[in-house]
Amino acid sequence: MSTDYNYDDKGQFFPFFVLTLTSLVTLPLTYNLLRPSKGLENTAPRIKSEFKPEHAELIEAQKRKRLRKERRIKRIITVVVGYAVMAWMAYLIVVTARTVPKVWDPYDILGVSRSADEKAISRHYKRLSLIYHPDKIRPDPAKNETIEMLNERFVELTKAYKALTDEEIRNNYIQYGHPDGKQSMSIGIALPTFIVSEGNSKYTLLVYGALLGVLLPYIVGKWWYGSQRYTKERVLVASAGNIFREYKEDITDGGIVNALSSGAEFKEMLQGPKTDAGLAKLEKKVLAEDSTFLSPEDREIIKGLDESSRRKALALLWAYLGRVDLEDSTLNGEKYEAAPIALSLNEAFTAIALAFGNVRPILGSFRTSQHLIQAVAPGSSPLLQLPHFTEEVVKSVEGADAKEHFTVQKFMSIPEDKRRSLTVGAGLMSEKQYTSAVTVAKQLPVLEVSRAFFKVMGEKVITPSSLVQLVVKARFIPPGYSGDVPPVNPIDLEDIDPDEDDLDAIMGRKPAKNKTTKLVNGVKVEEKVEAIQPPLAHAPYLARDHSPRWHIFLADAKQGKMAVPPFTFTTFDKPLFDADGKPTFNVQTLKMQFQAPPQVGDFTFVMNMLCDSHLGLDTKMEITLHIDDPAKAAALDEEDDISEPDEDSIAGQMQALKTGQPPKKKTKKPSDDSSDDDESDTDGDAGDTSDTNTETDVDD
Amino acid sequence: MVNWLTLAVPFAYLGVLLGSLATFSSLYRKRKARKSLSLEPWFPPHTQRDIYFSLLHLDPSASNDASKNPNGKKLPSSVPDSVLKSALLRRAIEDIKRVMALRTQKGALAMLLQRGSVGDDLWQRFLRAEKEMEDEVRDVVAEANAYVPGWGQTIFQSANEMLNNAIFRERMEKQQAKLEEEKQWWEKRKEGYMKELDVEAEKKEEVVEEAGEKKPATAASTTTSEEGSGVPTPATKTPESSGAPPSVAGSDDDAVLVEADEQNAGKK
Repeated sequence: MSTDYNYDDKGQFFPFFVLTLTSLVTLPLTYNLLRPSKGLENTAPRIKSEFKPEHAELIEAQKRKRLRKERRIKRIITVVVGYAVMAWMAYLIVVTARTVPKVWDPYDILGVSRSADEKAISRHYKRLSLIYHPDKIRPDPAKNETIEMLNERFVELTKAYKALTDEEIRNNYIQYGHPDGKQSMSIGIALPTFIVSEGNSKYTLLVYGALLGVLLPYIVGKWWYGSQRYTKERVLVASAGNIFREYKEDITDGGIVNALSSGAEFKEMLQGPKTDAGLAKLEKKVLAEDSTFLSPEDREIIKGLDESSRRKALALLWAYLGRVDLEDSTLNGEKYEAAPIALSLNEAFTAIALAFGNVRPILGSFRTSQHLIQAVAPGSSPLLQLPHFTEEVVKSVEGADAKEHFTVQKFMSIPEDKRRSLTVGAGLMSEKQYTSAVTVAKQLPVLEVSRAFFKVMGEKVITPSSLVQLVVKARFIPPGYSGDVPPVNPIDLEDIDPDEDDLDAIMGRKPAKNKTTKLVNGVKVEEKVEAIQPPLAHAPYLARDHSPRWHIFLADAKQGKMAVPPFTFTTFDKPLFDADGKPTFNVQTLKMQFQAPPQVGDFTFVMNMLCDSHLGLDTKMEITLHIDDPAKAAALDEEDDISEPDEDSIAGQMQALKTGQPPKKKTKKPSDDSSDDDESDTDGDAGDTSDTNTETDVDD
Repeated sequence: MVNWLTLAVPFAYLGVLLGSLATFSSLYRKRKARKSLSLEPWFPPHTQRDIYFSLLHLDPSASNDASKNPNGKKLPSSVPDSVLKSALLRRAIEDIKRVMALRTQKGALAMLLQRGSVGDDLWQRFLRAEKEMEDEVRDVVAEANAYVPGWGQTIFQSANEMLNNAIFRERMEKQQAKLEEEKQWWEKRKEGYMKELDVEAEKKEEVVEEAGEKKPATAASTTTSEEGSGVPTPATKTPESSGAPPSVAGSDDDAVLVEADEQNAGKK
């Protein structure tokens, strides 16, 4: 075996090598680029509305700017370059002449057909040897022949003949492809020779050193420090630090907006000359005497800031929240640019508030998200979310000196003609505007809780430290439909345990595949579960699409602390609206799992359910978790029908062996639950109506 | 014969290797030290401490001036002891505020750091602030002991009480500040109710047409004028309208109670 490596001096394998490597990178990247984005914002339906706010074109421009930023230019360039390299390599492969290694073929050498038998072969060989034996012929000078060549030809002929007739040589031929046995093997490296040729070794080493010693550390370092610049919430680390320092235990709406303005993202947005441009005008507009959305404290905060970029950011945010027209398209554009940034910073604030665990800032952070999405200042009326609503209209609806604001639900529950007379008129809205406002109002996803209870999967009672599920059954009842909502089907309010073999569902990884609802008459109904998205938030002023999220968390009312961190819901298991856009009033199931306290007793929590995109849709209710003694739970278990096996089952036999007596037929205790009546033996009653619902009635 | 050149090669290699490592390490450490030096402080400047120290350092110059006095008598201090003591107490109050803030932030910050929601240098800054506050508290205790032996043990207790008092007072004032606004709002509201009731009353009067009901009306008007609202109340009223004034009186009573509380708090 030769130890020499052959290099690809003819350049025939090198393109293959490069093509493979390039396609390994390019093809997955292409998929990544072309794959339809599955983000919540891209797949959700929209709330139908023709409302175009003032400066709609500015908002659109900001939206486009944001999209461009997300388009991943670098990735596109990489893919294009990759395809170019691949095409070039393919061209090289096609063009380069390939040297086909000669295969030693005895039939070819002898010049016999492959079907010839041994006799024919030996006859043919004899005839050939008569012609080609070196003793018989002379080298022909005309053909440039020598005696060696003649000798060689004859040896070849003999070899070929033997390979086909001699047993041993034939074996050699079959095994190694050559009558002489194993041939020398050559290993090629698909590198062009110029890389390894003597004179170029310095440059090769240099390139190699540059790749490994400079480029690799640079790329790794860049990635590492790049990833270190951002926190988990995709916010600059500096911003998270600033917001953390701004956090106070009693921080609320205005304070949170101020804390958000400390984000370093604003500094990046307002770089250079933008920092001071129009600041005076902006402040004059925002701090105008008649701007009612600013509380005196917030006014003081703006005036007290030293840093001009932060001052401008805060003023822009307030201008956005108060829907102040800044009469300058640059300033107005900046106003709409600031809001989505503040919205993403608010996520960092939420994380910080959750770490502290005080309820007021947590609620405040969710409310700030509502304010930012709807461009409604804290303390203003939720009615401003509806198109064409202005302060004057709100005043006309609520009365001049009302202390509390109307929610959209309350507004829509006013009888139609009165509602119209309150809002339509001179200086208020036109008939057409009223209709468009009401259409949007009737599409708001108001989630109304029908029932909320605790349960432990597969258990009758909740024992200390067990994994408890909070099951919330709720319906989407858009404002203005309260009159024609059908009553809730009591079966919908039950929660059914998933099949015992549906491991994914039991572990809570995904919803039960096919819920089997057992109806009263014992007919099983299969329900297909799918993820239905609610429509995108109706946020005409926000330069970004936002899919609404619902957060549910439990709080301890006495201490003002969070008890169970929020669970976030973005999709629901049943459609919200039917094909015509009418609400379906389906009962949706929301579940969150947490560990029960280690003590026995009753725990009263306040359940907060908040939608992060619309104002006035929050629900707050008291709910009691009743934790039983484990001993009692065990006692209940023994009474259970299921644990008492039948006489004729294997478990029954085991029971008989253990206790020395066959188990009694279970006849003495007729179950009061009709669904429990039918045969439920030891192979488990998967999908039985769960009777683990404890007596924590919280329906009120 | 030793080939010095070949022997030198491994040593040169070692030298280059160790040298480069040492350079890197020293550069890295210097950079780190510079970075931690440039860390932003956690808290804003400690005004109370600065005041205390400037009061304290007024002494030498003042005493120098005093020594030049023709009397030749050295004055003990131009700043009275009580002022210094109260400045120290103020400093202790600010320290308590800061220590409390650090204590509540520590758990949350550790959790956020673990989750990756905040950066590492925030944690470094926090640790430095914690250390600073430790030294600060120790310094305050030592200073207090210098004035009165044993005061160091109790200075923070009294400072804490003062702080709590200040917090309560602040809250009270906040509530108090709303009073005027609420009062105005209620007056306005009441006016609206009155008008409604008047309309009803007029209707009733039209039906009943009786003139002998002047007494309750005057009574009602007197109660409202007592509250100093100055709202011209209509002369005629039905007994139902007297439902509003008592509640106003009630809210006034509350205000009086709050004021009394505040006075009590102020006395403390």
